[in-house]
Amino acid sequence: MKPAKEIRVGNIIMVDGKPFIVLRSDVNGSSRTGFTYKWKMKNLLTNSPLENVFRGDDKFDVVVLDKKPVTYSYFADPLYVFMDAEYEQYEIEEENLGDALNYLKDGMECEAVFYDGKAISVELPTTIQRQIVYSEPAVKGNTSGNVLKEARIENAIESKQFIVQVPLFVSQDDMIEIDTRTNEYKKIVRN
Amino acid sequence: MKFFRRLDLFCRVVDNYGDIGICWRLARQLVREHGLEVTLYVDDLASFRRICPPVAPEVERQQLDGVTVRHWRNQDGVYTPDEVADIVIEFFAVDIPPGYIDAMAQCESRPVWFNLEGLTAEEWVEGCHRLSSMQPRGLTKHFFFPGFTEKTGGLLREAALEQQRLQFAPSPFLAQLGLSPAEMAAAKVSLFCYPHAPVSALFEAWQNGGRPIACLVPEGVAADAVRAFTGGEGGAGSVATRGALTVRVLPFVPQPDYDKLLWACDLNFVRGEDSFVRAQWAGKPFIWHIYPQDENLHHKKLRAFLERYAGALPGLADFSLRWNGAAAHGETENWPELWAGLEREAAAATERAAAWQQQMLGNGDLATNMLSFAATLR
Repeated sequence: MKPAKEIRVGNIIMVDGKPFIVLRSDVNGSSRTGFTYKWKMKNLLTNSPLENVFRGDDKFDVVVLDKKPVTYSYFADPLYVFMDAEYEQYEIEEENLGDALNYLKDGMECEAVFYDGKAISVELPTTIQRQIVYSEPAVKGNTSGNVLKEARIENAIESKQFIVQVPLFVSQDDMIEIDTRTNEYKKIVRN
Repeated sequence: MKFFRRLDLFCRVVDNYGDIGICWRLARQLVREHGLEVTLYVDDLASFRRICPPVAPEVERQQLDGVTVRHWRNQDGVYTPDEVADIVIEFFAVDIPPGYIDAMAQCESRPVWFNLEGLTAEEWVEGCHRLSSMQPRGLTKHFFFPGFTEKTGGLLREAALEQQRLQFAPSPFLAQLGLSPAEMAAAKVSLFCYPHAPVSALFEAWQNGGRPIACLVPEGVAADAVRAFTGGEGGAGSVATRGALTVRVLPFVPQPDYDKLLWACDLNFVRGEDSFVRAQWAGKPFIWHIYPQDENLHHKKLRAFLERYAGALPGLADFSLRWNGAAAHGETENWPELWAGLEREAAAATERAAAWQQQMLGNGDLATNMLSFAATLR
């Protein structure tokens, strides 16, 4: 058991028998009894987000989950199928994929996360490259990056194509780099 | 309150009178104004007795002002679900006995469980106020923060308090405390602070100042400085005049009389949380001595409050910071100058105190706000 004050973002903790990943932690000074920990968490079984607040001395079991490199293989409605190097297939429900769905692409490499022997989610690389499939024409001369427009990026399922905010100088068909933690545009990738 | 019948409040006394002062006030208000059956679990009945003389320190369970008071001796108690109230409050994040939590988990209808936190003006409180805190065995606790904005729980205040203040006549009360006509005519200052406050330096500034000041200090407060000024033991009834300053030691008064003292004085020095809040309801200028925390975290809390309260009162802000040892690095404290700065703002500070009081009234009161929120959880 670890006290809340020792839990870090990215740790997976058990709360009332359910596994949660800590996505964000805001620590604030409070009464003389210590700090208040406000966490944004995600239930790994249901993918539902949650905001909770804890005392620094509240104790949690920290879970070390198994991970395995996999590639996205195909969509077998309503499950997404991933395959490892030994051609073992893992089916993951859509609601457990969360933001990973935005970037899903045939053959995409990621890590499947296992809880209790079952693949429950996938972890993406921190940055990922994707091609823009639609955006309004680029505007020359805009390089400041502080004015943004919408751009749709390629992914596995057209109906789920994800929209990223990009600078005005970015064009359709450009390859861009995105931070998957924040879904923010990072830069154009020039080959 | 139709949703709830019983409420249990757990209090540990750390800051001598502040914790129990707040809990006792809250407990009585919940009984009187909201019709709840309240049990107050408190670990230190001797401290409780200082603010509530009828308390019998050796008694395990007693009835006082409609509140059941239970001596919370240790964490080993065994409780049954029948003993668990509809609302359970842990005050200032105290650890409720494990046996009580077990009983909570066994209840068919789970109690509403609050951690009632300390008062701070810091902005982050708004983001944590009323947030849930999942606990083992299907229990959920909610953090409830008192505060100074409508996005917090507000401040503790009895419904009749303002009316009582408006009807209060200071002269008979002050005469009852033994003040002489000269003291009555002087500027009256109440002094309640922790032992590390720079009281002697302030006494010296007052003593050498041009304006007569009567400083009324409860017995045991600033004991060293008071003894040095008055000579002798500095017990209740001690009084001495040097230069422009008269220091009078008062008996340690029950809560209602302390309110009257705040109402009767022109300036109040208060400490901790309970007297700090009461000073705000008194509508008079005040200087807050904040409970000290490690790494001077209390300075951050003090500055957050002064930012909200004293934007147009730089003299008051400066004095408050120095009183709490929060001077800028390398700056020395010139108490005659600091006092002069405070005096220059006297009229503006009085106006501000009244305006602030009205502003705080707009946030409702803590007990009512808490019960309203509890009702949404059922």
